[in-house]
Amino acid sequence: MNPKFVLYFAWYYGFYVIKRGPSYLLASLSLPLALLFMVTIFTHGTLIAFAIAGGPIAIVAANSINGAADAAFFRIQIRIQDLYVATSLTSQDYMFALSMSYLVFSLPGIVLYAILGAYFKVFTLSSALPIIGILILLTLAISNLSFIIAGLLKHIRNVWGITAILSIIMTVLPPTFYPFYYLPRGVIYILSVSPVTPAAVLFQGVLFPKAVGMYSSVQLPMFVILIAETLVLIFLGRRFIRWRE
Amino acid sequence: MIEIKGVSKRYDRHLYALKGVNATLKERVTTVIGRNGAGKTTLVRILSTQLFPTSGTAEIEGLDILKDTKKVREVISSIPQESQLIGILSPLEQMQLYLMARGFSSSQAKRESEYALDELEMYEFRNAPSDTLSGGMKRKVFVAMALAAKSPVIFLDEPTTGLDPLSRIEVWSAIKRLSSKIILTTHYMEEAQELSNEVLVIDQGNIITHGTVKSLLSTFDGKMRAEKLEGTEFDIKIANVSIKYIDANEVDEFVRKGYDIKRINLDDIFLSKGVMLES
Repeated sequence: MNPKFVLYFAWYYGFYVIKRGPSYLLASLSLPLALLFMVTIFTHGTLIAFAIAGGPIAIVAANSINGAADAAFFRIQIRIQDLYVATSLTSQDYMFALSMSYLVFSLPGIVLYAILGAYFKVFTLSSALPIIGILILLTLAISNLSFIIAGLLKHIRNVWGITAILSIIMTVLPPTFYPFYYLPRGVIYILSVSPVTPAAVLFQGVLFPKAVGMYSSVQLPMFVILIAETLVLIFLGRRFIRWRE
Repeated sequence: MIEIKGVSKRYDRHLYALKGVNATLKERVTTVIGRNGAGKTTLVRILSTQLFPTSGTAEIEGLDILKDTKKVREVISSIPQESQLIGILSPLEQMQLYLMARGFSSSQAKRESEYALDELEMYEFRNAPSDTLSGGMKRKVFVAMALAAKSPVIFLDEPTTGLDPLSRIEVWSAIKRLSSKIILTTHYMEEAQELSNEVLVIDQGNIITHGTVKSLLSTFDGKMRAEKLEGTEFDIKIANVSIKYIDANEVDEFVRKGYDIKRINLDDIFLSKGVMLES
């Protein structure tokens, strides 16, 4: 492990991208904010807390899945990955550095939602730790999924379409902006194919324990699913990154 | 020393990029010359542990590229031909990342990066976003990475492609100051002659000739190159240019016949060997 490289890469490619290209940040915030607006209007404000809670998840998931474009661009187009292959850096270091840069890039959005959440009393200080843990797991899971996608693609052109579709499917279909208990239990398990679903269910369990109440029995299975999916995706990500071809 | 032992690379069923290449590279600077698609980049990518060979192996400073990959990566640095900078980051930031990936501390990486950028007249652009730099400047940043890394063995895949003549001389000068073993690929024969002690000519995945610059040129001792458009006498014909290798005492005769007379250089080794193989 090369933590120095990971930290510097995450900072340079996470923070400096925000500083030098703020339009990317605004683009990444537009969908969750639009959905927050829609959910608030259509539910007359009754589900605003859920829409706020889903914001950080949607931001982290969308930024991480868009990482497929970066990973493919670095490997196929600008060949930066080749430069790092012939160093002491391991594929895990490289992938972890990219994943962490997406988390850093997501930070302004998370802070914005934290402010909204504090204002609407959705987030509390005691919920911070599990929320951060879930977001880190989600970043690792989805960014490794993006490395798998990037590794499978031969042409950079395909990546834009695939990530756009996946970004919508993964952030809108799972119970990110609405209560998970609106869905039949079986559907929750089907949707948990995407790591966003267990992450959203766990988020709601942490933030709305009273509302979740009798549906809390899915929390443990969802935790196990999120951990298992993260580990499997990390394993597969390493295989598909094409470190040494 | 680099020892290449029967290295082959097959990309699909029928496409062989390298066909059982064997060579021992002993000199400090070795240039791999070949036309586009000859197998130069594939060879460099295999030697620098970016690509697995289909068969065969190689040793770098006694370390096997397949068995001792980790140790090999500690002694080499490789600048791929097609690598480009991340546009939104500055040269200094990207050099620091590269050096930290090689195990440098952050302060050491910054110091060495600034020094190498200064060596290549790039210091004033160190903090500019890379997408504001010209193509030549971007290429120089990669060369600066190799300089700053100070590895015992450096692979430079076409380091001066796209550089203007002045920048090319700056890069050459930087390469000459290095004490590392250097393997470079190039299309420019002038560059090979200027920088290297040893030349490896590759065509269609085979080594067609290998030796020191001096020994290779000695096969043309006493010869001159006579060139003419649509000439009737030729050893080689490329498109409509006739090329004939003549003795020094035939120069006047060929001048009268309208031929241009040129001194022998590495072009002639490449041209004669390469073209003969194809014909």
